Amino acid sequence: MAENSQPDVTKDIPKIDLSDSIREFSGQNSDYYVDTLSQIQATGENLNLWNKAALLCGPAWCAARGLWNLFWLFTIAELVALVQLGKGIWGDLGASKMAEAEQLTKRAHDLRLEAGVAGVTGDESAESSAEIAMNLEKAAELAIQQAQAAASTWWLYLIAGIVLYVVLRYVLGKFANRLYELQYSAWRLNKKIASGFSMQRLTIALVILVILVPLTLYRFTVSSPVEWLVDVPVDNAYYTNSANALEGWFDRTAEAGKGVFDGITAGAQSVLDAMELLLVDAPWPVVAVFLVVIAWRVASIRVAIFTAASLCYIGFLGLWEASMVSIVLVGAAAFFCILIGIPLGIWFSRSEKAYAVARPVLDLMQTIPPFVYLIPIIAFFGTGRVPGILATIIFAMPPVIRLTALGLRQVPSTVVEAAVAFGATKWRILVGVELPLATPAIMTGVNQTILMSLSMVVIASLIGAKGLGQEVLTALQYVAKGQGILAGLAILFCAMMLDRIVQGRFQRQEDQ
Amino acid sequence: MNDNEKDIVIELKNAWKIFGERASEAMAAVESEGIGKAEVLEQYGAVVGIADCSFSVRRGEIFCIMGLSGSGKSTLVRHVNRLIEPTSGEIYLLGEDVMKLSPTALREMRAKRIGMVFQHMALLPHRSVRDNVAYPLEIRGESKSRRWDVSQHSLSLVGLDGFEDRFPRELSGGMQQRVGLARALASDPDVLLMDEPFSALDPLIRRQLQDQFMALSDQLHKTTLFITHDLDEAIRLGTRIAIMKDGRIVQIGTPEEIVTNPADDYVRDFVQNISKLKLVFAHTIQTPISEYKPVDGEDLSQSPRVSQDVDLDYLIDVATNTTQPTVTTDESGNDVGVVSKDRLLQGIRDGK
Ligand SMILES: Nc1ncnc2c1ncn2[C@@H]1O[C@H](COP(=O)(O)OP(=O)(O)OP(=O)(O)O)[C@@H](O)[C@H]1O
Ligand SMILES: [Mg+2]
Repeated sequence: MAENSQPDVTKDIPKIDLSDSIREFSGQNSDYYVDTLSQIQATGENLNLWNKAALLCGPAWCAARGLWNLFWLFTIAELVALVQLGKGIWGDLGASKMAEAEQLTKRAHDLRLEAGVAGVTGDESAESSAEIAMNLEKAAELAIQQAQAAASTWWLYLIAGIVLYVVLRYVLGKFANRLYELQYSAWRLNKKIASGFSMQRLTIALVILVILVPLTLYRFTVSSPVEWLVDVPVDNAYYTNSANALEGWFDRTAEAGKGVFDGITAGAQSVLDAMELLLVDAPWPVVAVFLVVIAWRVASIRVAIFTAASLCYIGFLGLWEASMVSIVLVGAAAFFCILIGIPLGIWFSRSEKAYAVARPVLDLMQTIPPFVYLIPIIAFFGTGRVPGILATIIFAMPPVIRLTALGLRQVPSTVVEAAVAFGATKWRILVGVELPLATPAIMTGVNQTILMSLSMVVIASLIGAKGLGQEVLTALQYVAKGQGILAGLAILFCAMMLDRIVQGRFQRQEDQ
Repeated sequence: MNDNEKDIVIELKNAWKIFGERASEAMAAVESEGIGKAEVLEQYGAVVGIADCSFSVRRGEIFCIMGLSGSGKSTLVRHVNRLIEPTSGEIYLLGEDVMKLSPTALREMRAKRIGMVFQHMALLPHRSVRDNVAYPLEIRGESKSRRWDVSQHSLSLVGLDGFEDRFPRELSGGMQQRVGLARALASDPDVLLMDEPFSALDPLIRRQLQDQFMALSDQLHKTTLFITHDLDEAIRLGTRIAIMKDGRIVQIGTPEEIVTNPADDYVRDFVQNISKLKLVFAHTIQTPISEYKPVDGEDLSQSPRVSQDVDLDYLIDVATNTTQPTVTTDESGNDVGVVSKDRLLQGIRDGK
């Protein structure tokens, strides 16, 4: 009844014919793929479309068809299976226990000899030596038994290897066509994605397999493989020489660039001094009132209350001076991060090339453990607050750069176009349109930068920056748990205080 | 002729735009082999935005460009103020070669002499409605009080009094579109470029704004390039209309010419359902008086007389009150033609 009243309008929609495009995509054996891929697209399921080529050739098929991710996945998985197989067939499974037994027997034999000599000389130790030797012999016997037991489990490995291998091929054969269909869909959008059957890819894959499989099998199944397979056969001298060369380079650069480094130090120092005058040297009640009022004016009454509470915590626990020193440190670091980071972000949002170069550098800045660059920083700038700040900047600047670039890229091009159409200059568009629209992203970057700066205070204190970091460090040295946690919480409160004040300004604008 | 040339405000000569990385190769192939849009897409992966477009707009005209979605209207209008660089061709605006303007001169021209309304509004979301409307003036460096005065005035022109201190996101789509219109008017430009400014509005407001806009452009003597996908709108507003298809201009003419004399089937399809009553004039359908053979009972001396420039609508009114055919006259009152009732009916149907 319902069918009658509602004719199926989709029935008459003409089918699109993809066979030409699938044929172009699949290259060799295209008839088969036209059939299977169309069927997959029609039913959304694989039905029972076994891909025999994938089933038989495994990873080689993946490579020839350009499914490289799949190739690596299955190569590694099949290697695991093959290693089990190899262990089962020719592996020396009891080898390690056997070696142990051998050693025990040898010790026992030595002891027996000793006991024999002692017995001849009439020493008292003869008896105990003999006893120990007997125990050792028993242990050796046990080890031999275990070794034999282990050796007799070869069929377990064999079966595990076979089962795993078969399952892998089953899975590949079963899902190959479906994955290939996905590849086809992706290829339609981007013709640079690999398509067709390529002899070249197949050759590469075979070379990889020929090298990888025997070596791996050998390494894992033979009980004592040749030395050069286990350890990379290189001379230790490479390492020491390179390290020495770098060391020399650092020394020379530090010497040559003394003027520059001193200049940077002086610049940073002056910012630090100014802030220190304000926050550290001024009487604490003045600073407290100043901070609360700023929080209130710039952000909101809630932030002001939070600030007051945080300051109370810091004050009552006697961490006032240390906290202010840390705030100065972080404030200066964040200031430089923003000062340098936002223009860099703007540049990277304009220039695809510059960003391509900068991206790995940014990754590096975020992933290298700070301890690594603390060393050159000390070489160039010595110890104290300024190198502490520099280390913090390296660590904390990437987010503000990235998010500025991201925010600017996401500004709708239609709005920018309108500004261009009304004759705005590039500068005006940047300041009046793009930066305001990118503000939420930029502020997220600033927030990240501030929080990351504060997480660096402990590390910075390693190279002589004072403040809360030093408190934590001392606590660490004396395993003073309570002290460490109190100082740690103070770091948290400082971070939140700074962040809320800076964010508050923009939060308020958005609420309007 | 010379006078005419001086009066031409916008002129495009053989403008082409091909989008894509291999645009210049594709352009070369188009020039040497004359391949079409489909071949360009297939062989070069490039999209033809506009193809060999030439037209000129005279001072005070409302020049409508009409075409289906994707026919290249937005692309075309963006060439006039060089928001898009043509792949080849020449562009003249207000007597200057736009392609030869220095960046500063181009900015100057955009800021002072061109107003633009965008299909997708493109308002600045972080500025109030007032500041959006005042944006062109701000770019020009006008004082704040002047900016406020002008923006208030142009907001009231589009019927948005009282919304000046809101943000665009608080307004409906149609209201935002009107803010866009107010913004274009605020800079008091010589040339208005309007990309489907009324498409998002409901019919009533649209009509109202169309009327307002016509009056305004008449009175302020602005030259307008008006994009629309609606032939009714083009006919209502346009002094002349260009019809686009697949990036090409297939016909340019007055509304009457387009309706009575469509250049090809594509245009004919468009005009089929358009009412011809106000577009076709007596002089188009009249039979010259010398060739007219009165049939029985007809006496041309008894016929009502009307100017040959009246439209069919008017002719119907006249013809219903008499049994005689209608006689048309020229400016000096001499009889020039005759419109019989049969001829009138045919004219209503065919537009000619
Ligand atoms: N930036 C671009 N890159 C590539 N192709 C584009 C670009 N802009 C427009 N096109 C193409 O140019 C053609 C014309 O587009 P245009 O936006 O001018 O159409 P339109 O007539 O304004 O349509 P609508 O009425 O839908 O707004 C379309 O085929 C479109 O795909
Ligand atoms: Mg458009």
